[in-house]
Amino acid sequence: MTAARVGHPAPESATRPARPASPLRAGRRMVRLHAASRQVLSSLIVLVFAAAALGTALHWLPRTGVLAREIPLTIEAGAAAVIGVATRSPFGDPERVTGRWLPWLRLAVNVALAAAALGALAAGSATAHLSGGAVGLLRDLAGFTGIAWLAAALLGGGLSWIGPMAYLGVTLPALTGHWTTPWIWPARPPDDRGAAICAALVFAAGITVTTLRGARDSVRE
Amino acid sequence: MTAATVPAAARRVPLTGPARLLRLELRRNPMLWMLPLLAALFWLGVYRPALANPPFWNVRATALQHALLFLGPLLAGVTAWAGSRDGRRGLTDLVGVTAVPRWTGQLASWAAATCWAEAVYLGGVAVVYGITAEQARWGGPLWWPVAVGAAGVATCCALGFAAGALLPGRFTAALAAVVVFLALGGGAFAMQNNNTYAQIWPLDVQGPFPTDSYGIFYPYVPDLAIAQVMFLAGIAVAALGALGQTARAGGRGLRVAAAAVTVAGLAAAGTAVGLAGTARLEAHGIVIPALHDAASDRPVPYTPVCSHAAVPVCLQPAYRGFLPAVSAAVSPTLGALAGLPGAPVRVTQVAVTSVVQGTGNSVGLGGPVVVGRPPVLFLPLAGLPLPGEPGTTATQFTSTLRMQVGPPVLNDLVGLSNSAGLQPGGGPGAVFGQSATSPRTAAQRAVAAALAQDAGLLPALRPASGPRPSGKWQVWPGRGAYLARGQQAAVAVRFAALPAAVRHAWLAAHLGPLRAGRVTLSEIP
Repeated sequence: MTAARVGHPAPESATRPARPASPLRAGRRMVRLHAASRQVLSSLIVLVFAAAALGTALHWLPRTGVLAREIPLTIEAGAAAVIGVATRSPFGDPERVTGRWLPWLRLAVNVALAAAALGALAAGSATAHLSGGAVGLLRDLAGFTGIAWLAAALLGGGLSWIGPMAYLGVTLPALTGHWTTPWIWPARPPDDRGAAICAALVFAAGITVTTLRGARDSVRE
Repeated sequence: MTAATVPAAARRVPLTGPARLLRLELRRNPMLWMLPLLAALFWLGVYRPALANPPFWNVRATALQHALLFLGPLLAGVTAWAGSRDGRRGLTDLVGVTAVPRWTGQLASWAAATCWAEAVYLGGVAVVYGITAEQARWGGPLWWPVAVGAAGVATCCALGFAAGALLPGRFTAALAAVVVFLALGGGAFAMQNNNTYAQIWPLDVQGPFPTDSYGIFYPYVPDLAIAQVMFLAGIAVAALGALGQTARAGGRGLRVAAAAVTVAGLAAAGTAVGLAGTARLEAHGIVIPALHDAASDRPVPYTPVCSHAAVPVCLQPAYRGFLPAVSAAVSPTLGALAGLPGAPVRVTQVAVTSVVQGTGNSVGLGGPVVVGRPPVLFLPLAGLPLPGEPGTTATQFTSTLRMQVGPPVLNDLVGLSNSAGLQPGGGPGAVFGQSATSPRTAAQRAVAAALAQDAGLLPALRPASGPRPSGKWQVWPGRGAYLARGQQAAVAVRFAALPAAVRHAWLAAHLGPLRAGRVTLSEIP
């Protein structure tokens, strides 16, 4: 309640005796409240803008060269950063100790946002040439998202964007210097199995950690 | 804290409000925690690539200006995080009533973040330039690219901070980082399509010039860098001024001052873009007439380093380490021609021989030319992959340079134009520029081909047998030989087989008539 509401009578529903809710209804409400606390709707809106930006950029970008890789990668990293930031909980410990279903809710929201990001970016790039294609998009986005989740577990949800953005900075010299390590997967061809495995491992590690532990709660946030 | 502990704190140097605030912010700024990551990115993105290249000050300075691409997005994100602190923590009302105006407090916070960011950047500059000072053989540090980089760091911090303060939210920091990354990347794309206004892009050092082509023979032309610093400073000032226009920033007078600052910043940035629009490509860099200092057009004096071969090779001292490789590249061609009338008596390195603006943001640099009496081969090395650069060995460099230098020298010697004469490269395809052969040029071609074979520019010559494209000198991939049809090839093979002394003596006697087109194939021994 904000200061502006002090002095106003409480809403009628607040004074009404609590009614036992059906499990389905309660579950739906819990999902809705969890999504609201993570600002899932705002995240989806940002992802739609990212998809539009990718589609616009691909129409103007050259089909080959470092620029043709770097700009889409930046947008993919941005989408992953949004997914990472969405893990931030505004409640902290109270939610941790009372939320029995919290790991499942985290998993559901994370998977839903990752799928939405993939769908949105794939749709945004559908009508233009994306260097690396859909397979490259899947691999790179998964890897970036995994990094964002790991950063959320390490630094907190609000600062989780640092992970994908720092990794993006590393890809620049890798793209121009033709690095061959599979751990810098954006610099590898889309059919490179080692790069795909590395990205998948990072994604799996990220989603496991954020599902089980959630984003780190930092008093600095 | 009790009252008894207060006197201990009083021993510190007393600071006024904003300065004390700055000291507090310096100790508590989130940028402090980012320093290891920023340093790691600098090491990966700037230090390693810069040190992997030969120790030229211009190459290293270019890498330092490009550091903005690696640091800028993270700086914007972290400062956005710092700028949104009050909004995130719901402290906006609380800090709005402090004795120091809120704008001052925000400026202190931005200044603290920028100080740390500049410390990383300038520390990296010190390391790279310190190592370069030990490795470089000539010249000194270029400071204008560093100034652009430092201004870019401050601007990224200002933009991020303003975004965070004005639009505090969960996604602000992440989006600020992404937007700065996209803006820096998009600038490269704009440069490809616009070579005037887009030059203001802060990662553009000297337009399309190769990184080792400026600041050695002539002073570094700072015109574009000045405009870029003006642009970046203007953007930063405008962003910081925008912070002061909110109702909580301070009193009416302060808000008016902030508005004036914003307008001044925007005016400076706009002026800089306008100046960049007047930029033009000249031989030694990008020139903006309104900012140009004529002193930049005077060559830098130096004492060349020369080899002691029959035809000496003289290089700029910065290239001293490449003297053996350059000598090895030109000696096979020039050594055999030493003493002949019209043959180069010396090789002198120059910055460029000609500069042509290409389409988009590209430039065409002329190759080696033979000029003057006595003839001198003017040799530009800018843009060539040098030994020590990633993926280039001394052998590759020597081979590339030999193929670039040999053909124009031989063409000039026998009187062929470069368009009709031997072509640089040495790969599969036509050996000569034009397929049509006149009686006048037939002898010139035969002699040029024989000399090219002797210099190692062409593999063993042999005349074609059986049906071949008429009159064409072609390399046939996989056969290891250059083939030609008819009498021209037979003469070339015969002339190439002569002892070097005999060939030299004949050339000494007949070069004049050969150049004038008065020698026929039958007159060649």
